[in-house]
Amino acid sequence: MSTVDVAVDVAVVGAGPAGLAAAAEAAAFGLSVAIVDDNPRPGGQYYRHPPPAFRPAAAAPADKERRRREAAFAVLAHPEVKYLPNATAWNLPEPGVLAIAAGERSGRLAARAIVVAAGAHDRPAAFPGWTLPGVVSAGGMQNLFKSQLIVPGTRAVVAGNGPLLFLIASNLVRAGLRVEALVEAAPIGVRLPAALPLLAWSPRLLGAALSYRAALSRARANVLAGWSVTEAHGNGAVEGVTVAPIDGNGRVDASRARRFACDLLVTGFGLVPSVELPRLAGAVLDYDRRRGGWTVRRDRNLETTVPGLYVVGDGACIGGVDLAEVEGRIAAAAIADRLGPQPGARARRADLLARRARQDRFRRGIELLFAPPGDFLALLTPETVVCRCEDVTFAELEACRAEGAAGAAAIKARTRMTMGRCQGRYCAPTLAQFLARAGGVDVAAVPMPRPRAPARPVVLGDLAHEAIAPPVLPDDPHLPRAPRA
Amino acid sequence: MRVKGGVERGEAFEFRFDGDVVTAFPGETVAGALLAAGRRGLRRTARLGMARGFYCGMGLCWECRVVIDGRPAQRACMVEARPGMRVESGPDAGAAEG
Repeated sequence: MSTVDVAVDVAVVGAGPAGLAAAAEAAAFGLSVAIVDDNPRPGGQYYRHPPPAFRPAAAAPADKERRRREAAFAVLAHPEVKYLPNATAWNLPEPGVLAIAAGERSGRLAARAIVVAAGAHDRPAAFPGWTLPGVVSAGGMQNLFKSQLIVPGTRAVVAGNGPLLFLIASNLVRAGLRVEALVEAAPIGVRLPAALPLLAWSPRLLGAALSYRAALSRARANVLAGWSVTEAHGNGAVEGVTVAPIDGNGRVDASRARRFACDLLVTGFGLVPSVELPRLAGAVLDYDRRRGGWTVRRDRNLETTVPGLYVVGDGACIGGVDLAEVEGRIAAAAIADRLGPQPGARARRADLLARRARQDRFRRGIELLFAPPGDFLALLTPETVVCRCEDVTFAELEACRAEGAAGAAAIKARTRMTMGRCQGRYCAPTLAQFLARAGGVDVAAVPMPRPRAPARPVVLGDLAHEAIAPPVLPDDPHLPRAPRA
Repeated sequence: MRVKGGVERGEAFEFRFDGDVVTAFPGETVAGALLAAGRRGLRRTARLGMARGFYCGMGLCWECRVVIDGRPAQRACMVEARPGMRVESGPDAGAAEG
């Protein structure tokens, strides 16, 4: 039983690059669209920008990024597009229906097709000291810089794995910080010759990457490739970091460790697709370590194994902003073609698929260059916190294993790991690696915890708008017998 | 620190963090203003008493939660700073209920 409050042709979850592109393409084909986004302002993480209260300085020219953002946001003013900010899509209760929590606007949204573009969050890697204030995730650092123009320190180390680290380090240099070191776990120098032919497929992004590298050289930052942070030091907040060489199997050479003083450590170990909604709908996932771990299985139209449910951008598998935008458009063109033959939809889709193929080559180059060590478990010491929400240490995980409670469910029951406020986002990957190592299996063989609604925390009062089925209770002889009519 | 150039911020105002005066500009989040003021530690955990602060910056990790005007478990990275706000680092409100 459900009440549907709004019905549209296409419901898009997420107002980041992929979601906005899907909405724009669908609207261009004459379809009605609703965009549901849990942020107060559009743009997702990539298009984060200063609030209206920050006025552009008179002298500042409209830069390329701003023009690109404004073009992407144009769809929000389209007459056939409803934009719902501060609205959390928290469940897919039945085919073609989204449950939305949005205060007084809470309710259900029915659509002939659903496009999920939920984006990604930082992949965590636990190491001693990673919970200290002043240790900031890569995504958090980017958000603070883009939307607040604030940098939380004066002397920084940027460490982890992946291309985002170079962008962040060069932003910090530009902001006037002293960047002591960029510490990348992959030995990218030796891999560059093999990756270059693929990277050349996106001259724009390759050029950007080279400019970040040049900025770091000019700032005399140490660039250590094939190295990892092994510990953040500090009493109450970060004061320094130790780094050491790491090999492809995740083994650390502590004998060559170096230490840097800093008051900011930015860590990023890649991104994890936010697959909560497709999982709730029952879509099949595949494990692909290079593309964020659990990724959503899709056909060439980007439809999942659940008919009518499309997933695009980093929320399906990690590929970056250009790929995300073209994926949003491919899904929308496919939907337009299916909902009613559209003149031009087929040709449009062929053109978009060719664009996607070019960007996919660039992605493969990035993946070749930055392929990470198997895991980062060698960084853990007994005192290292592996679950931030519940303060669970690695020693407690090891104790579970020693006492035979080695499965995810047993560990969860004993320690509360994965049950905290972050809903497992910042501990589940560590737990999966630990279980894989303990069981002598590949991490792809470790099942994810069962998906449960809500996909993101929602305010209980918002659910009052839901028609909830009466509970099914067992016959209980201890209950008073219902009076006979 | 605040990055100079490119934007003009509005008129500065003040709020309090654990009784100390913190300066903020319109449109800044509580976490942004505190970090600009060099206040990195925002609370201590209930179980191990560890210091925590801004981490994910997108409302997912809940590490930056503080008490704002008596309301517990408010994410400093998501709430805009307002003149006269009273922000407190503790107690670790809501830790027990997860």
